[in-house]
Amino acid sequence: MTASLSRIGAIVSADFRIRFRRVSTVIVFLLLSAFAYVWIPAPSTGRTLIQINGQRAIYNSGAIGMGTASLGMIFVGLFGYYVISNAIRRDVVTRCGVIAASTPMRAGEYLFGKFLGNLAFLATFVCGFMLSSMAMLAVRGEARLEPFIFIEQYLLLVPPAIVFVSAVAVLFESIPWLAGKFGDVIYFFLWSTVIGLVVANETTHGGINWARCFDFTGFGFMIGQLQHTLHTHSVSIGASDFDPTKPTIVFNGLTLTPEWILPRGISLLTPLLLLPVAALFFHRFDPVRTGRVSGKGRRNWIGKIQNLFKPLSRRAFLLLTLSGRSGSFVGAIWTDAALTLTLYPFVFVAFVGLTIASLIAPLAGVLPIVFAVLALIVSDVSTRDARAGTTASVRSISRLRENYVWWKLGSSCLLSFLLCMVPLLRTIAHGPLALAALIGGIVFVASTATALGVTTANPKTFIVGFLTFWYVVVNDKGANPMLDFAGFYGRFSPTTIALYAAISVAAIGTAQLLYRTRLARA
Amino acid sequence: MLTIEKVSKRFRAGNYGVRDLSLEVKSGVIGLLGPNGAGKTTLMQMIATITRPTSGRILFHGEDVVKRPNALRRKLGYLPQDFGAYDNLTATEFLTYFAALKGVRSKQRVMEMLESVNLHGVANRTVGGFSGGMKQRLGIAQALINDPELVIVDEPTAGLDPEERVRFRNVLSEIGFGKLVILSTHIVSDVESIATEIAVMKNGALLTMAPPETLLRTCEGHVWQSVVSSEQFDQLRTTLKISSAVRKPDGVHTRFVGPSPEIAATAAEPELEDAFLYLMNFADAGPPPPPA
Repeated sequence: MTASLSRIGAIVSADFRIRFRRVSTVIVFLLLSAFAYVWIPAPSTGRTLIQINGQRAIYNSGAIGMGTASLGMIFVGLFGYYVISNAIRRDVVTRCGVIAASTPMRAGEYLFGKFLGNLAFLATFVCGFMLSSMAMLAVRGEARLEPFIFIEQYLLLVPPAIVFVSAVAVLFESIPWLAGKFGDVIYFFLWSTVIGLVVANETTHGGINWARCFDFTGFGFMIGQLQHTLHTHSVSIGASDFDPTKPTIVFNGLTLTPEWILPRGISLLTPLLLLPVAALFFHRFDPVRTGRVSGKGRRNWIGKIQNLFKPLSRRAFLLLTLSGRSGSFVGAIWTDAALTLTLYPFVFVAFVGLTIASLIAPLAGVLPIVFAVLALIVSDVSTRDARAGTTASVRSISRLRENYVWWKLGSSCLLSFLLCMVPLLRTIAHGPLALAALIGGIVFVASTATALGVTTANPKTFIVGFLTFWYVVVNDKGANPMLDFAGFYGRFSPTTIALYAAISVAAIGTAQLLYRTRLARA
Repeated sequence: MLTIEKVSKRFRAGNYGVRDLSLEVKSGVIGLLGPNGAGKTTLMQMIATITRPTSGRILFHGEDVVKRPNALRRKLGYLPQDFGAYDNLTATEFLTYFAALKGVRSKQRVMEMLESVNLHGVANRTVGGFSGGMKQRLGIAQALINDPELVIVDEPTAGLDPEERVRFRNVLSEIGFGKLVILSTHIVSDVESIATEIAVMKNGALLTMAPPETLLRTCEGHVWQSVVSSEQFDQLRTTLKISSAVRKPDGVHTRFVGPSPEIAATAAEPELEDAFLYLMNFADAGPPPPPA
């Protein structure tokens, strides 16, 4: 027992050190703390953090605690997953996992240690955010700081989210086909679905219902409590303009009422059931199961589909590299796009499927799906060299060394236009402005994917950022014309097109600047 | 100490990593030689309980480690190929981590190990700043932290400079007393001075296993040296295995392995590199020759 605890403790401690000694972690930690400054605006500026029924909530410990805790919970729930879901993969890559597997350590100890490591990391982030939010209340508050009430809000909302995210990360990392990009996308939809189900259930049913037991996000609890104390579920959290003519409202924070004790407890503990499931799938660093043995072949269902289309992609590669042999920069772009098709024959499946769908389905319905798939495909283009260790080889080619960002942008654009060929042709019928909006949207995706890929060398940055944006756009359904970035719903304006064009130029400009700076230092 | 009985590892794609391999070893340093893809790493991973054999048994002190892997894991030290370490941990923290996983709690032991691999001077520096050789020495320190009976090191000298390679070899030869050390490599010079026995693998099978001096006899009468012209040298390369060639004003001083050549050549004293080349290219798998 003591040896077991000692092993778990060592895993948690090592994970914590490894993560917090990274400069990027410290920057994100400081940024998140700094967000408190932005998210809690001074009411004198005409903006506020919380509005309930359109009335500004007075800045006290209950209101600010609940508001910032719910924002922190969104960060933990959504972005937290992408930050922590590399704990097991790190051990695969460094081969330290293989050493750990050759020790008497049990698989359960390892996974529980990784789970606790995730938990400790996210909890530390939330604590930092909470402390900086408390500091902002001390500066901008309209009532004195009551630390216990403030902390209570965090304790009521955040722990189930942290436990859920930490456990799901361990589970997904233990299942080979969920450990990569596919798992990243699945998680995004899982999180969105959980929020959607719980909130829908709370706003329509209220009272005691089964969905409360899966309220990992705390949103259901928050809505239920607001309904209970203020008889409304109309609440807006996040810095926004308020109507100063309306009277202010005092909200003293969430409290744990008896009917919520069991659901909150279940929400906190249910995710722990995922850990034994993870142990069932855990590969214990067996190279055959982690895919580090060449003889293994691709045996999961994605791999089987990939293999099915491999002959086709190889022929396409030969065809496309003809242009690459010219030695020109355009040829290099063409070759890089062809490499994507060779590496991921699944793109062919996507291309065929989306082309058929684009021919028969309404554009407003099919375009969001096209863009979601597009994001997944192009996220890899500008990050694969850094991950595969081929950056130095690429940089030895003079025309690519200086123009790496443009090369990757060209390759991403080429793939994007190829995938969107049918929607582009169909949009011509809707007029030049609609076509400009769609082209602008494609370029926006390609350029932000390139910029974030070159800057961070991690495809997750773009996937998470874009899917979050995509989720907002799809749920907005064109209500806000400025969000209709690719003309999905025909609600865009020339300003919308100009805005996304400007963002694209700024993103690529920044990436190029950063790349050249790095190059000069190398 | 370690018995391997007809062990095979068949991958899902149908190919074999190791096929029907049997051997028995006691203590000392066993050099596992073979070209890339011979199955050395797969064999070592099976012994280290990382991956399970498809068939066959691996016994450690008579205990089946496939069925009861923990029996071996408590007494095992393993350094895998391409070992990477955690760059953000210090050498002490890294070693303490693996000590805890192996059930070793003594801080004194951690410091002793760092000292034994000559890393005590940089104990509090993060591993990210270490050279390849320093990382490998840290790797061997973690493998030895639990005072194992069986030490498995897979291609430990790959990527090291000559000085670090010699230093690493010395560390390995020092720990060989009273333990069983299995060292896999495709570089003959890594094992020739420290191995008590050498096992040669090819295509997943064991070609032979014998002490170095016995192995040398396998190619007696098959190693030649000659001074040839450049044209002759090019021709020789197609029919025989060249083990060394140095261009000098009087021609190419060539050493080669194979049947009696058609050019004027004198028989040479075999070296381990020659024996390895001979086994790889001209000999069939079979038992080693009897001792002289």
